[in-house]
Amino acid sequence: MIKNILCNIDGIGIYGLISIGIFFSFFTGMLLWSAVLKRNYLKHMAELPLNGGEKNSNETFNGEKL
Amino acid sequence: MNSNIENFKYDNRVVRAFAIATVVWGIVGMLAGLLAAVQLFFPDANLNFQFISFGRIRPLHTNAVIFAFVGNGMFMGIYYSLQRLCKARMFSDWLSWFNFWGWQAIIVAAAVTLPLGMTTSKEYAELEWPIDIAIAVVWVAFAVNLFGTIIKRREKHMYVAIWFYIATVITIAVLHITNSMEMPAGWFKSYSMYAGVQDGLVQWWYGHNAVAFFLTTPYLGLMYYFLPKAANRPVFSYRLSIIHFWALVFLYIWAGPHHLLYTALPDWAQSLGMVFSLMLIAPSWGGMLNGLLTLRGAWDKVRQDPMLKFMVAAITAYGMSTLEGPLMSIKSVNGLTHYTDWTVAHAHAGALGWNGFLTFSMLYFLFPKLYNTKLWSIKLANYHFWLGMLGIVFYVIPIYVAGLTEGLMWKQFNKDGFLQYPNFLETIVQVVPMFKLRAIGGTLYLVGVFMMAYNLYRTAKAGQFEPDTAAQAAPIEKTVAAPGKSHWHRVLEGKPMFFTVLAVVAVLIGGLVELIPMFLIKENVPTIASVHPYTPLEVLGRDIYIREGCVGCHSQMIRPFRSETERYGEYSKAGEYVYDHPFLWGSERKGPDLAREGGKYPDAWHFNHMDDPRSTSPGSIMPRYSWLLTQQLDKESLPARLNALRKVGVPYPVGFENGPAQKDLEAQAEKIVANLKLGSVNCETNKEIIAVIAYMQRLGTDIRSAATATSVTK
Repeated sequence: MIKNILCNIDGIGIYGLISIGIFFSFFTGMLLWSAVLKRNYLKHMAELPLNGGEKNSNETFNGEKL
Repeated sequence: MNSNIENFKYDNRVVRAFAIATVVWGIVGMLAGLLAAVQLFFPDANLNFQFISFGRIRPLHTNAVIFAFVGNGMFMGIYYSLQRLCKARMFSDWLSWFNFWGWQAIIVAAAVTLPLGMTTSKEYAELEWPIDIAIAVVWVAFAVNLFGTIIKRREKHMYVAIWFYIATVITIAVLHITNSMEMPAGWFKSYSMYAGVQDGLVQWWYGHNAVAFFLTTPYLGLMYYFLPKAANRPVFSYRLSIIHFWALVFLYIWAGPHHLLYTALPDWAQSLGMVFSLMLIAPSWGGMLNGLLTLRGAWDKVRQDPMLKFMVAAITAYGMSTLEGPLMSIKSVNGLTHYTDWTVAHAHAGALGWNGFLTFSMLYFLFPKLYNTKLWSIKLANYHFWLGMLGIVFYVIPIYVAGLTEGLMWKQFNKDGFLQYPNFLETIVQVVPMFKLRAIGGTLYLVGVFMMAYNLYRTAKAGQFEPDTAAQAAPIEKTVAAPGKSHWHRVLEGKPMFFTVLAVVAVLIGGLVELIPMFLIKENVPTIASVHPYTPLEVLGRDIYIREGCVGCHSQMIRPFRSETERYGEYSKAGEYVYDHPFLWGSERKGPDLAREGGKYPDAWHFNHMDDPRSTSPGSIMPRYSWLLTQQLDKESLPARLNALRKVGVPYPVGFENGPAQKDLEAQAEKIVANLKLGSVNCETNKEIIAVIAYMQRLGTDIRSAATATSVTK
């Protein structure tokens, strides 16, 4: 049915069908990928901004060390 | 663990330079905006000085706030965060400074050329071709510096902020190059390679995604860095940030056609734009919630820290704008809001709230760090926050009211079935008080920025600038993982170039899906036999129309609504624009649509109207264009212009520009001068106003003459 609808829209030719295929493959792949990520990896990644490698960490709030 | 610790330094100098430029250009851009806002209720505020008239100052304002204020803010944040996320100094100090000075030179070039009327007229892409080339060169330098830093990084994994930076760099390059394809007709004049509907689609594919990939993705990357930094806690959900990234970059690019709903753009493209805009709510709100939830358990800090206050307000503004945008993309809603001031309110809620407040937040964070001190006055920063909030409220609420009033008045019919407000002017006079309130809102916001500038200056004076920050980290270990042991996605992320290719593919799909059928399938632009190229005099008139920025207030696209066809005439067809390089559909109506202006008024009316709009239309807010009555028409450049137009596909015969075109021009000009005499106006044939009248009288007449011819035959 979807194929029938997409092929009957004026001005898009075969591109409508190709587009919907790409769209669903992209989101299926992306969601599957994000679902299988390991907890340790996510924790490590989330903490990256907090460790900038500065020798004298100036992580301060208005001059006070946090 | 690698024991081979390396010592290195982060470059703070270039960060400081971009920070100062952000503040300076922010003030300049907002002042230009205020000047434009005042002219909307007090047209004589331009002092009858052509270089600061509304049509020229508006693009200066938009370019200054987008590319100078937010652009410098983006570079500031990226140069600071990228080094720390990669645990590496920028790849090349020389490229950093080339990026800085090159960008400032481009801004200065824009500030000179736009008031001079050198413009392509395509929104947010107004700069002429030599500056376009300079932008491409500086952007490539930035890209090399960014990728060079990523490649020499000491942190194995690329944090999600870097993904957003990569998507920004690549997509802006693609958008800029595609939309800037133009044929030069002199040093500061060019014609778009595309015409009419195709030009419209390419422009709004660009325009929409300039908002997406210049104002949104880099700032989301900065949010993912600076928010955890300020709150001193990791982002709420890293998994959500991954989904946010991929869904956003994939979906955003499809949504461009929502700027062209109910226009002559094919229906399938309009529907595609609407559907993808609605889908965008999901990743946008995912990102907003991810940001706000990062502060769970840390809201007490928001009370104390003005930087976090600005950040929270910015993220909330992001959420509101990204909900409102998709709602405005629903065709029935858009039928009411398009061309009205609602669009202006929407843009400013995003620009002042999201970009402005996030930039201020970063500046309040960075200055104390760069100068190794604390912020000079937290109290003043808090005043800035509340004044800024008040400024936004005073700006957007009156303009929402104005937009709604315009939309409703344009569509109102009386009980007899006629337009309730047939004179466009009635609808504008009604909203002038709102324009005044808006200027007050803008002023409050700007005063806040001055307060911030002073606060940052005092902070800098009190501290000691740290040109480099010493850092240390171990280099990435070069280990070969056993097959099957390493998760494939970590492999992908460890290879920045491969990651970049995937991001490019995700971004390009949406663009290609829309542009390929539009260019390849002929039925998308049905031709109309009676539509002919503009005459030489009309070409010059059209170029003056472009120079003066008339497109900023006048659309040339009648939508197929009864309220529009009653007011302006037959709705616009795609085939009418096949010789329009560039298209001039416009996106705002501060004055009536001009698509069928030809023949509506006598030539003398146009002459008097341009000299002083209030003499023919009392209460009009249009600027005076009295200089058109005295300035000489530039006939010398005609051959170059016609030649360039022929090269982009307008079928002028070969040799037309050497003799026949000039004769044609003189004959048409003399006819107009004779018409003017009938209206008791004396004017010479070589004045600019003659060309403008020729263009005005041509608008929309092609299909009218076809209709007349058909009825005569019958």
